[in-house]
This record gives sequence, structure tokens and C-alpha cells, in this order.
Amino acid sequence: MVRVHFNRRQLCIPYGLFLALFVVIPMLLILFYAFTEEVDGILTFTFSNFLNFFTSTAKLSTLLMSFTVAIISTAICLAIAYPVAYILARSKLRRRNVLLMLFILPMWINFVLRITALRELLDLVGLLGTQNYLNTIIGMVYDFLPFMILPLYTTLEKLDESYLEAAADLGANPFTVFTKVTFPLSMPGVISGITMVFMPSMTNYVVSDTLSNFNITILGKLIDQYFTTYDNWHMGSMISIILLVIIFLTMLATGGFKDDGREARGANLW
Amino acid sequence: MNVRKLTAASIALCMLFPSLLALAGCAPETEEVLRVYNWEDYISAPSEGEDEGDYVDLIAKFEEEYEAETGKAIRVEYSTFGTNENMYNELKINPGAYDLVCPSDYMIMKMISEDMVEPFSDEFLRESNYARYGSPYIRDLFEANGWAEYAVPYMWGTMGYVYDPELSDTVEEDLSSWAGLWEQRYASVATIKDSVRDSYFLGVAYVYREELMQLKEQYGSPTLGDENFDEYNAKVTEIMNRTDEETIERTKDALLELKEHLYGFEVDSGKQDMVVGRISINFAWSGDAVYTMDDAEPYTDEDGVYHEGIYLNYIVPEECSNIWFDGWVMPKGAQNTEAAEAFVDFLSRPENAVANMNYIGYTSSVAGDAVFEEMVDWYAEGEAGDVDENGEPLVPYDLNYFFEGTGDGAYADGDYVIYVSAESAKRQISAQYPTEEVIARSAIMQHFDDATNAAVNEMWEEVKGLPIPLWAYIVIAAIAAAALVIGLSYMYKGKRAEPKPKKGYTRVS
Repeated sequence: MVRVHFNRRQLCIPYGLFLALFVVIPMLLILFYAFTEEVDGILTFTFSNFLNFFTSTAKLSTLLMSFTVAIISTAICLAIAYPVAYILARSKLRRRNVLLMLFILPMWINFVLRITALRELLDLVGLLGTQNYLNTIIGMVYDFLPFMILPLYTTLEKLDESYLEAAADLGANPFTVFTKVTFPLSMPGVISGITMVFMPSMTNYVVSDTLSNFNITILGKLIDQYFTTYDNWHMGSMISIILLVIIFLTMLATGGFKDDGREARGANLW
Repeated sequence: MNVRKLTAASIALCMLFPSLLALAGCAPETEEVLRVYNWEDYISAPSEGEDEGDYVDLIAKFEEEYEAETGKAIRVEYSTFGTNENMYNELKINPGAYDLVCPSDYMIMKMISEDMVEPFSDEFLRESNYARYGSPYIRDLFEANGWAEYAVPYMWGTMGYVYDPELSDTVEEDLSSWAGLWEQRYASVATIKDSVRDSYFLGVAYVYREELMQLKEQYGSPTLGDENFDEYNAKVTEIMNRTDEETIERTKDALLELKEHLYGFEVDSGKQDMVVGRISINFAWSGDAVYTMDDAEPYTDEDGVYHEGIYLNYIVPEECSNIWFDGWVMPKGAQNTEAAEAFVDFLSRPENAVANMNYIGYTSSVAGDAVFEEMVDWYAEGEAGDVDENGEPLVPYDLNYFFEGTGDGAYADGDYVIYVSAESAKRQISAQYPTEEVIARSAIMQHFDDATNAAVNEMWEEVKGLPIPLWAYIVIAAIAAAALVIGLSYMYKGKRAEPKPKKGYTRVS
């Protein structure tokens, strides 16, 4: 019998292939499309897509709109999720896992279904068709809240109680303990949560289309339009690249790439 | 490598990848393949679980009949697309991947102009069921536009408003003009299409509504058979296909104005929203209109239980309409044109057209007695001279323009008339078959060249992306200010955080 032996490098091959096929090559293709245009059937290098984006009122407004929707949704998610995650993580509840599960449970149901159901609900309370922006934000928050709770919960749960005790011993009141110890130590979770919510909120156009009756256009929708109805893959790719850069910059600004804090990496798993 | 080993290997490969069967040549050589690419939900082919008793599976039926007639087994590889542009891209990337596709009118024009389609054979054009039963009106139209040898019409219709007549006392009068939708009193009750071309058409119709009405008056409201029909129709078509800068600009303003009080845009949800009463006016394709009206009606089910509902109406405004088609074409590189023609021939048989109309609700381009009988079955409320339940005489709904010359003898030409109540004449039948007056004012929308397309898309992008509410600017400004404050405070703190060690002490780290 032949003994099969793989060394570590060989074990990386499947993932390396995956990376090349589904990450690197598509990225290069998008880059290629973004900086080319078709003139009389010939592809030529161009910056026109880039310039077009930043000179078009419609595209800039869409960018602004997506940004606003995403920021507000993220802020609301954070405001709701932090207390919940804090209480869950710090409480001595015997059944806190059950509680946590209740928050995650909706994630197991297809989100298109959930959004369609939400549409009916909003219609029932009379918001549908009148409050397009509000509806979109409600939808985003509803959809992405678990993505904010989970990383926060994991970081807060792992927080060493002795830090808090030490702070209290040194005379900090509960408020100071929170602002000086708990919150700074939960930053990795906060950042991870923000990236998990902010990014999809800029692009998840199923939510905006369904709940605003197609009245609100966000960047994801614009990209979709360029690929499916405007039949211009070059502009579509350019918008994708710009979105990518924006998200990259947001992460850079929030320090999402910092390598300190193992919790950060653990929480990023979610 | 010897032959046996090779065979064994290829068999093993085939077992591993059943999809490679055809490629590897393991499939029985007698089986032919026909690759059809059609719109989603656009053929009578009930999926599993649906009541098969009511519907015919036309794909399976074709496979059986083809084998019975030619002795060759055939398998239809049926795939679907969601937009014309998707289909077009797929054909560009993968030429020769399909034998038969079903694009819309403007896409057929584009494909013909780009030499992407194979003509149908003379034999087919002379002797097929389409030649025999295709509606003379539609055949003439295809002939006149020069598409006849490349495309066989499948479904067709107009565009108009589906509306709830109970909405207001004047709703019918208001919606007899496209401008009705712009009335402030219809705020938050109406939707239009989330589709560039359809909404552009609506906008242009609104912008030029006065010119169109003058034209109509000038020609004395002609109908299909009138001698000035061609001239009038050509003028309407010219107006509705304007794409100059001024038209685009004015259309954009009109649509932006409309958007302010619109319930929203839709592609599919409009039907359901009408049925449940969320909205009361929907700018719709006639086929969807039929479906919506059917679904909204009150009915009594098999158990005798009465279900409440509303009777919706369909109206094509007086100014103009868009007449549209979807048709079968064989793309260049099609491998099995013979079977493709056989399939179109099969679909053009009146009884199969009836099966399709039953299942998808759109109107087939095929006429013939079987189709007419089905329509009588659906719509007729009596004979000439009968009265409806209110004692009003039934009105004739004349379909001779569509059916004449396609019968097998059951009806004489001129007899293709259905008698319906005045109320019903505004419902499904008016969406199923437009009257000759409606046809006279219906324009075909040409395909735009690339530059025009870009300009119209840009217009649409602005309609969809604007305006930005004031609070969004405020939020952005607030965030920018907050970011600035935080940034500055960090810089300040950063300076303060590392005080220089006092003299006499050294830092131990």
C-alpha cells in the first residue's frame, strides 16, 4: 500500500488554486474592464470611465446616497447591538446561548424572503410607498443587525473580568470603567462589526429596491444596471473598483487592518 | 495506450461527469439536441407540482411529436434569460451556443443589423403553420419592416394603464391621456416600469401629447384599414422614436416630476400590488395586464366559495401606444436549424398557441379557429342582439383584422366578432387584442444606436438617482465635521500623551 504524504506546501495548493481562480483572476478582469472601452469593436485603454464617474451628477448622487444610507444603518446597528451584546456577554444568564441564538436565528432564513415579509409589514403600518428612505434603513438594520451583534458579543465575552475589577479597585466609577476599559478593549469587535455592516449596506440593493419600490438607487444597483440593462461592463467594473477603494479606505480609517489584538482576528471570523 | 484502455477511461470519465456525455460522444448517436433560449416563464411547461391536468407541457410534447414524425429522438435543452441585454451578451460571448432564441422587437432589429441571425428557410416561410395560421396583420407588419425572413413573431401586445375604475369618478377620463399619471391627485397610487425603454416611451408620450393629439385630429382618428393609416402611423412612430437632446432633456424633467409623487417603479411586483390593492394604477404590458385583471377578479372556487375581488380595467391612452413583439430567431452558428424550424412550426399550431396563452396569459401572434374559439370561450357573453345583465345590448368586439384568412372553415371572414358587455370591453379582451383604433396609434420602438443608448441611459440614471433629499447633505456634513473633530482631538492627544521625561529621571521601559 502506498502511503500518501503531503507536505505543507502541497496542502496549500487547493486554496491557492481557489485564490487564483476566484479572487485574483476576476480582480484582474475587473481592472482590465474598468480601464478599457470598446471603440469599433476594438478594446482600447482609457481613463474615461473614471472621469465619467466623477463628473456625472447621477453617479455622484448615487454614491452620496449609498454612503448616507450605509452610515446611518451602521450607526443604528451599533447603537442597538452594543447594549445587547454587552448585556448578553456580561450577564450570568444561564440561557444566554438561547438568547444569542434568537438573534442569529433570522440569519438562517433566506434574506430575500425576510425582506419580502418586511415589505408586507411596512405596508401594514403604512410606511411603504411614503417613507422610502426610512424603509430602506429599517431594512438594512433588520438585515445586518446580527452581523453587528456577533463580533461585539465575541469580543465582550472574552474580555477579562480582572481588568474591570482592577479599574474599579483603582477608583474608577462604572462609567469610567466602561469608557476607559471596556469600550477601548471592545474596539476590535466594533470595527469588525462596522465593516460587516457598512460594506453590504452600500450595495445590498435587494433591500432598497424592495422597500423603496425602486425609488432609491444605491451603488450596488448601479453596478447591476450597468451589467444587465445598460450593457456597459466597462463602467460597471469601474464603479466596482471605486466601491472597492472606498471600502478599503473606510477600513484603513477605522483601523481594520491593524494587526494588534488577537480578539480582532478572532472576531473577524464572523 | 491501447484502445480498450482508452474506452474504459472514457467510460469512467462519462460516469464521473454526466454532463460531458454529449461532448465525449457517449450519447446515443441518434439523439439530436435543440438548444432553446427563451424568456423566463414564457412557454407552457408546468413545473413539477403544478396541476398538470390544466396545462400542456409543450416541450415534452414537441420531443414526442418530433420523434414520431422524423424517427429521430430529440432533447430540448431549454434555458432562460431575464433581459434582452443579458441574452445579447450571452450570444456575443458564446456564439453558436443556441439554436433558437426569443428576443424583443428592438433586439431583433439590432441583431439583424449586426448580421447575427440566420434566415428561416424558404420552405418554412412558405409552408409552416406560421405561414398558414400566423395573423395576417402581424405577418404584414413583419414583412413591411423587413424582418419576415429572420424572425417569427411569438407573443405581442401594447402598453397602457391598468387601473381600478373605483379610484375616482374621473379616473377613466384622466387616464385616457398619458398625462393622467402626472395629476397630483394620483399621488402614491401609481407605479411605472423600472425599465429604461418603457419609461422613456412614457415620458416621450407625455412630452409630445399635444402634438400627438393634433396629429390624430388632423387625420380624423384613423383605424387600421383606413387609407391614411400608414401615413398617420409613420408620423406617430417618428414622434415616439425621437431621441434628440431636447427630447431627452424634456423627458428627464417629466419623469423626475412624475417620480416625486409616484408610488414607485416595478418590474414584476406591480401585478401583485394591483391585485391586493396597494396601488390603483399600473403602467403595464398588455400581457401582464390580462394576468392582473384575471387575478384581481372576484371568483367562485370549486367548492362554491365566493372570493372577493375587484374588476380592473385596461386603457390605452388616446395619444399613442407602443406595440411590441417577441419573436423567434436562429442566431448565426445555430447547429440544428432544422429542429429549430420544427419547434417554431410546432409552436405556431393554433392548439399549441392556445396552450401557451392559457399558461402565460400573453397574446400569441398565431390566429386560427382554435385560438378564436378559445377567445369566444373566454370572453363572449352572448350573440349579436343579446343584452347583458343590466339590460344593455352587448357590443361587438371586432377581431377580423387579426383572424381573417387563418380559419379552417368554421368561421367565414367577417365573422370573427365577439359580443361582450360594454363593461367587459374595457377589461381583459382590450388588453388581449387591441382594437383597430388602438393599433393605428401604436408605434414600434426602434433600437437605439450606441450613442443614443448611452444618452438615454444617462437620462434614466439621473431619473433614478436624483434628487437627493436635504437631510442627506446634512448627515454627510455632520459626519465630515465629526470626523474632523475626532481627527484633530487625536492629534492633540497624541502630542500630550508623550510628555518629555522630567529632568533627573530616566525612562525605564
